[in-house]
Amino acid sequence: MRRLAVIVGLVVLVVVSGLAARKFEGVTITVFTQPPPYIAKPVMMFAPDWEKTTGARVNLITAPWGELYTKMYASFSMGVAAYDIVIFPAAWLPDFAAAGFLVPLDDFIANDPYIQWDDILPVYRERIVSWEGKIYAVPLDGDCHIFYYRKDALENPEYQAKFKEKYGYDLPVPPKTWKQVRDIAEFFNGWDWDGDGEIEYGVVEPRRYAGQADWCFFSRAVGYVALPGQPGGLFFDPETMEPRINSPGHVRALEDYVEIIKYGVPGMINMDSGEIRSIFAAGLAAMAIDWGDIGVISETGEESTVRGKVGYAVLPGSDEVWNFAKGQWVKLPEPNQAGYLAFGGWVAGIAHNSQHKEAAYDFISYLSRPENSYVSVTTSETGFNPYRYSHFEKLSGWIGMGFSPEAAEAYLKAIKDTIGHPNVQPDLRIPGQARYFEAVDRALSRVVAGELSPKAALDEVAQIWNQITDSLGRDKQLLYYRLSLGLPPK
Amino acid sequence: MLTPGVLIVLLFSIFPLFFTLMLMFGQVIFSEGKMLIKFAGLANWQRLLQDQRFWNAVLVTLKIVVIAVTAEYVLGLILASLLYQRPFGSGFFRVLYVIPMLLTPIAVGYTWRMILDVGRGPIAGLLKRAGLSPVGWLTDPHVALYSIVLIDVWQWTPFMFLLLYAGLEAIPKDYLEAAEVDGASGWKKFIYVIMPLLAPSSIAAFLLRTIECFKIVDIIYITTGGGPGQATESLTLFGYNVGFRTFDLAYGATIAFSLFFMVLIAAMFFTILTRSLRGIRLE
Repeated sequence: MRRLAVIVGLVVLVVVSGLAARKFEGVTITVFTQPPPYIAKPVMMFAPDWEKTTGARVNLITAPWGELYTKMYASFSMGVAAYDIVIFPAAWLPDFAAAGFLVPLDDFIANDPYIQWDDILPVYRERIVSWEGKIYAVPLDGDCHIFYYRKDALENPEYQAKFKEKYGYDLPVPPKTWKQVRDIAEFFNGWDWDGDGEIEYGVVEPRRYAGQADWCFFSRAVGYVALPGQPGGLFFDPETMEPRINSPGHVRALEDYVEIIKYGVPGMINMDSGEIRSIFAAGLAAMAIDWGDIGVISETGEESTVRGKVGYAVLPGSDEVWNFAKGQWVKLPEPNQAGYLAFGGWVAGIAHNSQHKEAAYDFISYLSRPENSYVSVTTSETGFNPYRYSHFEKLSGWIGMGFSPEAAEAYLKAIKDTIGHPNVQPDLRIPGQARYFEAVDRALSRVVAGELSPKAALDEVAQIWNQITDSLGRDKQLLYYRLSLGLPPK
Repeated sequence: MLTPGVLIVLLFSIFPLFFTLMLMFGQVIFSEGKMLIKFAGLANWQRLLQDQRFWNAVLVTLKIVVIAVTAEYVLGLILASLLYQRPFGSGFFRVLYVIPMLLTPIAVGYTWRMILDVGRGPIAGLLKRAGLSPVGWLTDPHVALYSIVLIDVWQWTPFMFLLLYAGLEAIPKDYLEAAEVDGASGWKKFIYVIMPLLAPSSIAAFLLRTIECFKIVDIIYITTGGGPGQATESLTLFGYNVGFRTFDLAYGATIAFSLFFMVLIAAMFFTILTRSLRGIRLE
């Protein structure tokens, strides 16, 4: 009897001491982001292990994409300590950081032996998550647009010969200019080029309002307006904060954006970015623009019919680029294929009024540390794309996910080449970003519907952008814009 | 005893109403982590009245309301009249007819979006087999609005049917028998006996559907997102986009109130109509 009591006592002691050792026992942290699977899935994947180790609990709250910004902003501004961690698009960071909604994380990161901050690509760890010299979030996702094409179509010698006969030049694989994309799209539009008995089309790109088509437009514009060495080409004049959105370069990009619809999958003007992924993976289009998601879905998705048939490349561009200083087109010897960090990726920050900042940071660090983030970026439907050097070095995760070694290499190379491009353009990172982009999105949808010409629509956007800038304070916005480009204050 | 009820009304109705009213005459400023509401007089209303997008949304909403509610009434009346004659299987059809209104608008929206898909939808397939050109049901700016009307009619005709069927059932049989004795034909009975007696049910059905239809948002949000361009952006969707995509709360509140006024005018019209019909008697 006494022996039994001793054993029970020891067991209790071990259990109690084990529990006491857990550093956040009894703490509940609330994480707020969009609904699963995309973005919330990694939280759900890693929360149980972290809870076991730390004794804390993770309470996941979600809101649809369209309501995410407003719910976050409302909760912060009304002083409701509703969330400890917010996982949000990097483009919103200036809004939140400038308003004092987020906790600076520099000290946390400096004292964190697990996060391996230098393993994160500089563009993400230095530009995307920092504001006025301080770090306000940890990257969980690396986002940029890349170009997808069907190798079995574009590399087919018979089709290449026919293409040359029709257009008078070799079918470029991959295409380097949007003009070439247009010709290839026209060539592959409306016939069964993969022999599956179904008709295929030239391209698939999102064109729906509130369907992330605005990023697609800027991906098409970047080659026309981001002249190497010319800062601020995409959005504003960094000297005056005058909008550049209605420049001849942007107008030409918008004309392309509209013209390509003729060679797109029927109904493309009503498609968002989620739908174009399924369409491409179903084998209906020869080319597409997207974040890393099409690659993952095409190479690993159960429904995919294009596994092993997809080629990956940096975005096409233009050999004529608009020079804002001279106000004229400049002819370049090689096409300007500047990358675009569309959206910039999802980042995690800590609310300024969180009662559990240490626990919150510990969970963010757990999500972002190399071994766990590698699992996140190599698991389908997480919505997270590579953003650390280590994500590009090891192929095993990608192969385990369903990529062939060749596909994994080509996919990662396209992303790495985009991010590492010397003329890569960051997304708009100033307060009011959502308002500026909504105006563009609205105009794009009106042009696509034939309500406005590209020039008239972009002139209207420029006018709205000026109103937004004035309402937020022109001097302040100019300062923030310059900081976001890495330029000194004026 | 009244306190909890009063509190609930204050909390969920009166307070949001006054807050929205306040927003309507203000400007919301987000600065240094605070949300400030500055008095702006009638600036939001001035902006609204000069906003092309607002007038477009008004027109879109009115078109949907007028066409859809009228079609729902006519179809509902036909269905109710058919079942009123107790054909074989009327019990089964009575249940069948109401199924669409039991579905959530989101599910209805997704289903119809698939059906009307210009490339892969079943209707596109049928048209293709018949050698006809595809129709951009949801992608052609000239057609999309009517597709929204079609979906709304499909979902909400059952509501009209139910109210009108109940109205028909409530008509005293003596009136109809008396009309038959007087030698009235089926058509005359319908025009001179049934329709006047059905007027209160008709007005109630029209009023309820009109109010609901003015607020249409979910089906549009799923099927077209308000596009192509602005072709199907209703007032509610416009308010949502302004308030929740650009966080322009004051302007969003003004749009919401403009919708409220429109619904109020419609309700007053139907109330006056009801009063004027009170005098109707069978001759």
